[in-house]
Amino acid sequence: MGEDNARAADKERRRIKSADTMRDMMVKYYTEAKGAEGTGRHIAWITSGAPVEPLIAFDVIPVYPENHGAMCGASHMNVELCEVAEGRGFSRDLCSYARGDIGSAMTKGGPIGGLPRPTFLVACNNICNTVFKWYEELARFFDVPLFIYDTPFVRGDLPRHIADYALRQMEEYMGFLEEVTGRPYDEPHFVEVAAKSLFASALWKDVLACNEHKPAPMTCFDAFIMMAPIVTLRGTQEVVDFYQGLLDEMKQRIDEGIGILPSERYRLIWDNIPVWYEMRNLGRLFMELETCLVADTYTSAWTFEGVDVDKPLQSMSKIYTEVYLNINLERMADKIESLATRYGVDGMLMHSNRSCKPYSLGQYDLAREFAKRTGKPALIIEADHTDSRWYDRAQVENRIRDFVENLLGESVSV
Amino acid sequence: MDVQAIIDECMELWRDPYPHLARLRDEGQKPMAVFCSYTPEEIIHAAGFTPVRLMGSVRTITHADAHLQAYCCSLARTDLDMALAGELDYLEGAVFVQTCDTMMRLSDIWRRNTDFPFHGDLVLPIRMGEEVSLPFLEEEVRRFRHSVEEYTGESIWDDALEESIHIYNRNRRLADRLYKLRASSPGAIDGLSATAVVTAGFWMRREKHNEMLHELLEGLDTGKAAGNGKTPLFVSGSTCTTPDLMELLMELGAEVVDDDLCSGHRYFDNYVDEADTPEEALARRMWGRINCPAKHQCIEDRAEHMLRQVQDSGARGVVFFLQSFCEPHLFDVPYLRERLQDELDVPSLVLETELQSFSRGQLRTRLQAFIETISGV
Ligand code: SF4
Ligand code: SF4
Repeated sequence: MGEDNARAADKERRRIKSADTMRDMMVKYYTEAKGAEGTGRHIAWITSGAPVEPLIAFDVIPVYPENHGAMCGASHMNVELCEVAEGRGFSRDLCSYARGDIGSAMTKGGPIGGLPRPTFLVACNNICNTVFKWYEELARFFDVPLFIYDTPFVRGDLPRHIADYALRQMEEYMGFLEEVTGRPYDEPHFVEVAAKSLFASALWKDVLACNEHKPAPMTCFDAFIMMAPIVTLRGTQEVVDFYQGLLDEMKQRIDEGIGILPSERYRLIWDNIPVWYEMRNLGRLFMELETCLVADTYTSAWTFEGVDVDKPLQSMSKIYTEVYLNINLERMADKIESLATRYGVDGMLMHSNRSCKPYSLGQYDLAREFAKRTGKPALIIEADHTDSRWYDRAQVENRIRDFVENLLGESVSV
Repeated sequence: MDVQAIIDECMELWRDPYPHLARLRDEGQKPMAVFCSYTPEEIIHAAGFTPVRLMGSVRTITHADAHLQAYCCSLARTDLDMALAGELDYLEGAVFVQTCDTMMRLSDIWRRNTDFPFHGDLVLPIRMGEEVSLPFLEEEVRRFRHSVEEYTGESIWDDALEESIHIYNRNRRLADRLYKLRASSPGAIDGLSATAVVTAGFWMRREKHNEMLHELLEGLDTGKAAGNGKTPLFVSGSTCTTPDLMELLMELGAEVVDDDLCSGHRYFDNYVDEADTPEEALARRMWGRINCPAKHQCIEDRAEHMLRQVQDSGARGVVFFLQSFCEPHLFDVPYLRERLQDELDVPSLVLETELQSFSRGQLRTRLQAFIETISGV
């Protein structure tokens, strides 16, 4: 009895309290967004990598099908939605966020009864080329305008002509927003929003950096949940406040020596989007294996660098063009190597994600490169971020177990 | 060469172009691999290389699995497999064009794991046909030209480039004539042969292909009666890497009257304007081309164009012949099928295949059923 109480108290001590704030904030956001449907306020569906600051500046409500997709995945409802899209002829091999979203648009299905109807769409292909095909379909389905922010792939340094093209489109984007919303572009206001966004992303970066500490105050599974506001609402004061609070909490945990796991023996990097429907089970497994996923390549995509406030559009266009998925393998390897060093990890776990080709193709080469540069092993597991039909739980768990057990020995080949 | 000899040679190439590609080297040519019809082959040609298209092969993957997951298209997988197996060592290099996510990553993987002397990349906009992307595209073409020049250590003369553009334009005109002919007098040349002759051009120097097309067009008997009672079909997709599909269709009593294949009609559509400066003209052609699903089309909706093509060809059915995992194409299918059905009353069939596991038997059953329905048997 006493032991049970002690365990419960320990669990409560480890629980991240800001999670409640975040949940309230996201509920409020979705309630507001849903309530705005049909009121004359503009609602834009937007891809996770697209510049959202302009929307905030133009008082448009941004809605993220990918965040919604993660939600549908976590609540085990996405397969059903995918099947609706498949019934319409979409191949099972297409991204399950896209299929689920199309299915949800068609049926208003999912945990929150579908997303509010958009008045226009914004897609940016810095994360993949799937998004513009997916948004073309949405544009036909809802019969609304689509703005495509086209970010050519960057190998090595950002070439001048790509930077110019990106900037011209940023200007065009403002013109597009002026036209659809009927409001003028107000640069000082935009700079204000952009500054908040950058401030929030700097805070987010600091939050993630707290995990350099041993034991880590959170796992990347927590980060996957806590990243929702930086993805969806960066640019608002609320988000700045939230991350300030989260950062304070993390620092306090470090001071008090509170780790997220009761015992942390190994530290790993996670690569790729989470397996949303398996978060709970995997979390349990890692706890049992005394392994903490301390860093990942996914959440750190929302930490921006190199901004010149005097040239807001130019800075933004550069940031959005050079995101993690839009650069070559060598630059990706640099980033992973830097994570490994900073977070002092024992290895890397890569999710080969059937849905997401830009993230997954090249992982075998990255794994080898990682092993070469750091002397640490990497394991690749097969799954899909929201389509559980492709997932073999027993097999994946066994492989993870073997991998962690082998960390005891010398480095393992990939 | 007489007509039949030309057709036979092309069929043979289509069946297996690789032994022939290996011989090009011995003949003093420098084959340079390309994968996509957006490649400005004229630049490669003008620099003294022979652009050759890699269209995969029917094989078991042995080397590529260590680099590419099974959930990507068989073109990427089998092309990489051949390269890693050392079967393409006669190549001077390869040129990658950013169209889909697979190609974008394949370029890095290829560069890191092979050691061909040359590696080229072209990053294209996805927004085609819009003012904002043209200057970028032009610059990219210019940059590509420089990268080739840097590699050879010699500049490509504008004269040479203009000459290459002229040769490629002539090739497009001849191919177009052949396609028109097969529609207007199907008795003269069947769909299978016409496609074979166009496809074979990917594996030879354009000058030679032009001669071949010219001879063929001269030699065809256009007087032969039209209307062979076969069911007219349209094929849509990226590439027909082997003659299998078209052969099957022939056997089953169908006639392919037109296509929008990336190795067919889409390839030779639109000309390069010979009055413009070469880079500008090459960029403009890409920018104004229609019908590639990997690009966002603003000048003309892809569906509008396809519907018109189907209608003009008189096809009574459309066969979508697609690579499994090919996202750009797979995304467009539901919408295109709906419009074909609703607006033209033309039914369609979707076939997804992988080169490594191609099953003629399965295709046959499905195609037979489809052809029977549309011809009302
Ligand atoms: S393919 Fe990847 S990046 Fe693109 S929408 Fe799907 S999950 Fe997102
Ligand atoms: S466009 Fe399709 S077939 Fe071509 S490389 Fe990309 S995925 Fe493969």
